[in-house]
Amino acid sequence: MAAKNGVKGDRPRKIGYYPGCSLTSSAKEMEDSFMEMAKMFSLEVVTMEDWNCCGSSPAHSTNHGYALLLAGRNLLLAEEQGIQELMVMCPSCFVRLKEAERKLMEDEEKNRLLESVLGRRYGGGVRLRFFLEVLNDLKMDEFQSKIRTPLTGLKGALYYGCLLTRPEWITGFDVGPYEKFLEGVVRTLGAEAVHWGYSRQCCGAHLAVTKADFVDRMVDRIRDHARRAGANCLVTFCPLCQVNLELRGNGVEPLPVFYISELIGLAAGLPKSRSWLKKHLIDPQPLLRSLGVLS
Amino acid sequence: MKIDRRFMEEVSRRSGQRFEGCFHCLSCAGGCPVVEAMDYNPNQIIRMMQFGMQEKILKSRTIWICLGCFSCLAQCPNRVHIPAMMDALREMALEKGVEVAEPEILAFHRQFLNQVRKRGRVYELEFVARYKLATGALFQDMGAGLKMLMRGRFQVLPSRVRNLREIRKIMEENHGGKKWS
Repeated sequence: MAAKNGVKGDRPRKIGYYPGCSLTSSAKEMEDSFMEMAKMFSLEVVTMEDWNCCGSSPAHSTNHGYALLLAGRNLLLAEEQGIQELMVMCPSCFVRLKEAERKLMEDEEKNRLLESVLGRRYGGGVRLRFFLEVLNDLKMDEFQSKIRTPLTGLKGALYYGCLLTRPEWITGFDVGPYEKFLEGVVRTLGAEAVHWGYSRQCCGAHLAVTKADFVDRMVDRIRDHARRAGANCLVTFCPLCQVNLELRGNGVEPLPVFYISELIGLAAGLPKSRSWLKKHLIDPQPLLRSLGVLS
Repeated sequence: MKIDRRFMEEVSRRSGQRFEGCFHCLSCAGGCPVVEAMDYNPNQIIRMMQFGMQEKILKSRTIWICLGCFSCLAQCPNRVHIPAMMDALREMALEKGVEVAEPEILAFHRQFLNQVRKRGRVYELEFVARYKLATGALFQDMGAGLKMLMRGRFQVLPSRVRNLREIRKIMEENHGGKKWS
């Protein structure tokens, strides 16, 4: 964990950003709320130019070449654009880019393939960073000083899903060492972080579309366990988890599902935070009003 | 009985994995969040490969149901990369043109990649519409879809990559595996 009252300049003031498809559409409020938070902490976030889809599950599920080259092109472009640190917010995009990075750096044949298709090689000049690592660089006392409306009465079940919770040697990021920090953030905002056992269960990912009934049951189990633990909302870190937890499930009373950055914006009283709340499929406003967080 | 090992060797080559280490401890199956929707456990697929049961494997639901969440890999005492094995098996099923046991899942992948081919990015509105047309599941989640639209959860106009020529090259060339679309 970073030193207390850290010296200025020990964290980046400018970082490159790879959005990915969800963050520009169905998870736009995840992006917006993070950007507003970054502004609040004077972190400059620069979106990389001409990024393309990382390939997601459909690419690696059907053709390893597509997966390598789609993700690889983004690494190439970031390197050419002089981006030293590239932040990714979607866990799936992060894992796809990280996987391509590993293959390109470890397997000469893969880099030759990239060169044969796109005319240039990847030199390894970009450091990929998951957004929770960037969040962790911001100090807890900085959060404290920004709070205008404490989220008193909000009891969040922090839900990490699948890709965040695998060992670092598989995915390049493991939420394990960050869990205490994230619970601390939630408490600093004035909310509670409940203890529960389902934070690492899968949300059903793309089966939510193709096997809806099956994923309904998965989401119901998650909601049920969150409710039993006394939560009145779920807190997510992934665009797909957020949509699935709102969209699926039919047997258990639904819970509002927030992105962590939305909660930070809400507690900081950012004017835009109201507009994010209106985009939710499960309207969180009645809960927030009943707690006096929204007037 | 003579067992044909060529199939397993091919999966080994493509996935970079060795499958002799599996002793069927069921850690993979026990931790898999979607095992109930599979027709064979992940470890059973390995056993079937050892017996050379190519056709049954390539026609199984299991290879399409796997989400690639890495739960199995995180728990396997022998670190068999089952998600990489599933990737290789799906690729082979498509190349050999066998009947796919989960056509909706394949339609999902296909429509998604069509978006990538067209714009370099996924235009969610069109992607959802085309998936529904392709599978005939027109009215499933209609209400939720409209709600998402009304609440501004979909980007209304598509965005696209400027250098589409590069995307086309990626999607059209043969990269070691056979071309598939």
